[in-house]
Amino acid sequence: MSTSTTTAGTDGRPAAAGSRRRSRRGAAEARAGVLLALPFVLLFAVFTAWPVLQSMFMSFTDMRISDIRTPFAVDFVGLENYRTAFADPVFRRAALNTGVFVLLGVPLTITAGLAAALALNTGVGRLRAVYRVGFYSPVITSIVAVAVVWRFLLQPGTGLVNTVLGWVGIDGPHWLGDQRTALLSLVVMAVWRNFGTSMIIFLAGLQAVDPGLHEAAALDGAGRWRRFVSITLPSIRPTMLFVLVTTSIGYLQFFEEPFVMTSGGPLNATVSASMYTYNQFGFGNYGVAGAMAYLTFLVIGLVTLVQFRLMREK
Amino acid sequence: MSSFARPTRRTVTGLGAAAALGLLAACGRPDETESGPAAPAEPIAEGAATGSLTVWAMGAEGEKLPELLKGFQEQNPDVTVEVTPVPWDSAHDKFTSAIAAGTAPDVAQVGSTWMAEFVGLNALESTPEEVATDDYFPGALEAVTVDGTVYGVPWYVETRVVYYRKDLAEKAGITEPPTDWEGLVALAQALQEKADAEWGISLQPGGTGSWQSVMPLIWSNGGNVVDEASTEFTFESGQNEEALAYYQSYFTDGLADPAPADGTTEQDFVSGRVPMFISGPWMMSAVESVGGEGFAGKYGVFTMPVKETSSSFLGGANLGVFQGTKNRDAAWKLVQYLSTPEVQVEWFGMSTDLPALQQGWEDETVASNEKFEVFRAQLDTALAPPVVATWEQVAASFDAQIEKVCKDDLAPADALAATQSEAQGIGTGA
Repeated sequence: MSTSTTTAGTDGRPAAAGSRRRSRRGAAEARAGVLLALPFVLLFAVFTAWPVLQSMFMSFTDMRISDIRTPFAVDFVGLENYRTAFADPVFRRAALNTGVFVLLGVPLTITAGLAAALALNTGVGRLRAVYRVGFYSPVITSIVAVAVVWRFLLQPGTGLVNTVLGWVGIDGPHWLGDQRTALLSLVVMAVWRNFGTSMIIFLAGLQAVDPGLHEAAALDGAGRWRRFVSITLPSIRPTMLFVLVTTSIGYLQFFEEPFVMTSGGPLNATVSASMYTYNQFGFGNYGVAGAMAYLTFLVIGLVTLVQFRLMREK
Repeated sequence: MSSFARPTRRTVTGLGAAAALGLLAACGRPDETESGPAAPAEPIAEGAATGSLTVWAMGAEGEKLPELLKGFQEQNPDVTVEVTPVPWDSAHDKFTSAIAAGTAPDVAQVGSTWMAEFVGLNALESTPEEVATDDYFPGALEAVTVDGTVYGVPWYVETRVVYYRKDLAEKAGITEPPTDWEGLVALAQALQEKADAEWGISLQPGGTGSWQSVMPLIWSNGGNVVDEASTEFTFESGQNEEALAYYQSYFTDGLADPAPADGTTEQDFVSGRVPMFISGPWMMSAVESVGGEGFAGKYGVFTMPVKETSSSFLGGANLGVFQGTKNRDAAWKLVQYLSTPEVQVEWFGMSTDLPALQQGWEDETVASNEKFEVFRAQLDTALAPPVVATWEQVAASFDAQIEKVCKDDLAPADALAATQSEAQGIGTGA
């Protein structure tokens, strides 16, 4: 017993001295570290953290456009702006539209992207590069140019979509002018525009799947579907999570499609949360607009958290 | 590591709290000081303009303005003028951030619905006496008058009249353009029944800017949406309800398409599918270029139909001198130059923007086109949108209600009541 305590004592003292020496060196290192990190920290604080703080501050004040010259001479109104946002029927409609858009758009985009990636990974041989460029090109095309073409396609009388439907005897609706079809049309357009990105990422994920596993499973008599469900899907789980999260974040902020195609009409059927927030900024209601932006931010944070929880490695 | 991280986190939190406290302490509105009438503007110095000027102008005007300003530079050889073209879409944001940062230009083209807002921001100078304002169209001058003080001057104007296919109207047995509300309905019906038109007239069934179609009918019926002093909204009135019901009747009676396709007005007009619409002077060249040779003779224009008066929407843009300009005398001299009848006519030749000065219309180049005469007649009675700082937002909620009236059969009275309560919630920003 006694020896052990002595050992501990003699052991302890030099150890303590050593740690003091280490901490001195550590402090110097830390100083150097702080110094080296300072440029980034300063830039981050001024150009990223400050605007974020300022806009959050704004969402708790009654700031309007007439206050832009004196941004701090405004009154603190607590959660009033958030109440206003929730009480606004158009904002609630915008939130609903955004929800529908995400719930329909995200699964469709991921399915389409994965299907295209699987086809390119296994099926088409030499034409792979052609298809890859073809599917990806909507992503890099300007939304403004795309919008013009889609408006032509969806034109009620003479558009290609309704002409084709006419051949099989269907009287197509006025896609963008009808409350029931306007949002759906935008979902289809968004899926078409965005599935190329998920396809490229899935393609990379699929190429990392160990072919040995497939071979072994095939020898054991597993069919294509079985191998897809039991080998491919689990192997690309991290890829899936990444695509799911990025697509969801993108779609929760969806803005460009209604902005260039419908301006939120008809009868607010396509107005999105981001677009309505943008309009509020345009009207000069900075406080309310800030509150709406933070509500969207909160929802995005929550959705992303849930997705990470559900998709994490078990 | 952890021993290092802990104090840091504490320091950061402390700093953040201190910053937040600082913010809170610094915020709060200063006590309201009662603002009297604006002080009269100082006179402009005599002599030629000198120094340098920055000018912002939007869209096509921004591109063509440097050409027009060559004359000004010849008259004032010591001045350098730099014109920055700003796209319309981003112009409003650009102006407000420049005003906030104190980097606004010396002179700029100002959209007609921005006047009250910019004056509220203390951004515009009031117009000195040397700049004559008595020859402008009354509606145009009203658009630059905020609380009885004139800020800047009208630059060019535009107004809306009814375009119709003369040849198809004759086929339908109507040789004289209608003059009153009933007559316009009758013409639309006749075109639809006897001239194979799918729709009698093209009207905007709500959506951005549809208030510009409804307001003229409201004015025509003796109504208005703000009171005399522009301090209270007056959406709910018998006259307004009657005007909105009249507008609605075009949709409920099947005379106007409640879900028209975008951007097909010109083609539909030329093909005779929709042989009537209400729009501004720019549509003349648009329909003539689609219609081709000889189409100019096939269509006509007439002034808005009368209920109590014939009224139309007066648009256009104004010129303003911004507060904080370092070259005030030269800035106002530039405005003076642009407001001379000769320069307004020269500008019309370059841009086909209609002169805001009545004298400008006496010139041959403007007066020779008979269709322009209709616009000239309409300008006498055309009215500018209400001069209210929050008008854009109020108009957007009015647009939404108009859409419900046209597409959802909402009762006009209910739509006006809803607009009124939303408008009161928004306030006039005064």
